[in-house]
Amino acid sequence: MGTIIEASATAEGGSFPGALGLADAAARLCLQRAQRTADEVDLLINAGVYNDRGISEPAIASLIQEDIGANPEPQPGTGQGTFSFDVRNGGCGMLSAIQLVDGLLASKTVKLGMVVAADIDPEPGVSEGFGFAPVGGAVLLSAGDSRAGFTAFRCVTFPEFAGLYQSNVVWREDIRPGPSDQGRNVLTVEIAESYPEQALECAESTVRELAAASMLDLGEVDLLVATASVPGFAAELAKRLGVAAERVALPSPALARAHTAALAVALQSGRLEAGTTALFVCVGAGITVVAALYRGD
Amino acid sequence: MSVGGGKHWMALEGGADGSPGEGSYTSRFAAIGASIPQRRLTTDELMASTKYRTDIELEQLTGVRERHIVGSGEDSYTLALGAARDALAHADCAAADLDTLLVCSISRHVGGLPIQLEPPLNVGLKAALGAERALGLDISNACAGMMTGVFILNDLIRQGRIQRGMVVSGEYISELGRNAAQEVRTVMDDQLASLTLGDAGAAAILERAPQGAPGIEVAGFTTLSEHSRLCLAFPATIGPGTTMHTQAREIHRVATEEAVVMLREVLDEAGLKFDEIDYLIPHQTSARAINKASELFAERFGTTPKHTVITVDELGNTASTTHFVALNKYLNEGRFAPQDRVLLLSLASGLEVGIVIFTVDQLAGRYGHDH
Repeated sequence: MGTIIEASATAEGGSFPGALGLADAAARLCLQRAQRTADEVDLLINAGVYNDRGISEPAIASLIQEDIGANPEPQPGTGQGTFSFDVRNGGCGMLSAIQLVDGLLASKTVKLGMVVAADIDPEPGVSEGFGFAPVGGAVLLSAGDSRAGFTAFRCVTFPEFAGLYQSNVVWREDIRPGPSDQGRNVLTVEIAESYPEQALECAESTVRELAAASMLDLGEVDLLVATASVPGFAAELAKRLGVAAERVALPSPALARAHTAALAVALQSGRLEAGTTALFVCVGAGITVVAALYRGD
Repeated sequence: MSVGGGKHWMALEGGADGSPGEGSYTSRFAAIGASIPQRRLTTDELMASTKYRTDIELEQLTGVRERHIVGSGEDSYTLALGAARDALAHADCAAADLDTLLVCSISRHVGGLPIQLEPPLNVGLKAALGAERALGLDISNACAGMMTGVFILNDLIRQGRIQRGMVVSGEYISELGRNAAQEVRTVMDDQLASLTLGDAGAAAILERAPQGAPGIEVAGFTTLSEHSRLCLAFPATIGPGTTMHTQAREIHRVATEEAVVMLREVLDEAGLKFDEIDYLIPHQTSARAINKASELFAERFGTTPKHTVITVDELGNTASTTHFVALNKYLNEGRFAPQDRVLLLSLASGLEVGIVIFTVDQLAGRYGHDH
């Protein structure tokens, strides 16, 4: 039994709906596509990093759970409720969360897991360096009856490159009129020019390790889903790995800078056909790389 | 319907109907570590710093006499690192033996009060500890973060997917109290709970137990999200760091009520009565809240655990670390016997309800006490 993707969805809408609104919309559309109800979701993981107010508590997943109506009230004796929490693994968060869902599905602790992510600039005009596309994404996962689905994961961190991608909320002196006359908290995102090239290096080495451990010939990859929060990453990685360009799931140009939802965005342009092999590669700050193999159901 | 055919509301591992069922392994706590800052701040000192005259008897109201707060060079990261090293010092394994490292801090202060959103904290911790082989991951689930990490590792160990892992958190949250002290005016203020917070790091190493050895009997979690907006924290407008806004009375009321139902479910699954629990360690919000909850539990169950642990009086509410700071304290003080059964009860913003029941066993012998 493998963990299969039942459906995926995205939601766009500028920054108006907020990250929570985008996540809610993507989650609802994903459920609709899978013809599932929210109550069937017994595990909900949010992987988004940049939300409307920089909320650190509660888990954003619990807010999404309430919004989409996934067992918000306890009804003991009637079945299993929903367990929600957040993964904060930057651009790798969605695939990391899928790995966690895979574990809890395999043990039958849960039956249906949803991973949701969305990012927006929390304070346009104040934040520094925020360039990610405002988009939400959702992926719905369950345990299949066959050997299809996710078959292997590999996660590697490269701490020597941690300085290439830094994102912090810092207190800045600011005398403009505002809630405080002393300063304000400001989101700062700094991505070095060398990050995209280094992300490719780290991704390639991780993928080759995964392929070797899984005895996979990279020429057999039918679909490459690759994200690093920077435009052009998937196509460049495909060249390095020898994957044909037509086998790369490419986001629309408007969403080329999607961040934590990028995996769901890429899935909208690629099909996971039965019997085919998909390679998922997500790269984020750290540098962290998570790679996974998926056999179409 | 539940997976196993029963009708439990919580996601359950172990017990009569929990996953993964026959043939699974048992996981256990191999060691618990903590990192408590040296500096202390009494409630009297904190309340003397409020901007407005409040007349709030905070110590009388909450039972919090003092809390420990970070000193120069300490932050969420250093507290987590210190706790992780303390746990490893009490375990039979090295950092290089860890298969998984889950970092569960709510606060993410690194290098002072900047909040580090990316890279994830696990990247630096893995490198500093020498846990290069471990799958690193940051998770966030309010004050239930470390318990969520235990739930995840317990599942992976029970399945045989991993041999051992660490859950770690460092909470530098005393600045919420400093920020609240600038705004709180009355006892009804929604930042009152921030005045009870203290700083601490904690870590737990989980491992596969030898065949037949006791360990975690059952673990359960659920999120009652109709209450998800009763407590919200976000970057402050008044100063560096964060502020937290809590409907404290309401969240305590619903959490206690819901806990009764979930406790009953988990105890039933484990085939246990409430008085078969030797130590109940609840989330440490205030001594008064814990005592009121204990009264309700006694009324509803008709019986009580043998002991209920309170550390909030001297440590304050240390967020995601409270259960493990308390465990570490009791282990260091030699207060557990190997046969003691402990119930960890997490009630956190979300509303998260998490429960873990385990037997202390070998853990008691790792802290220099002869049992």
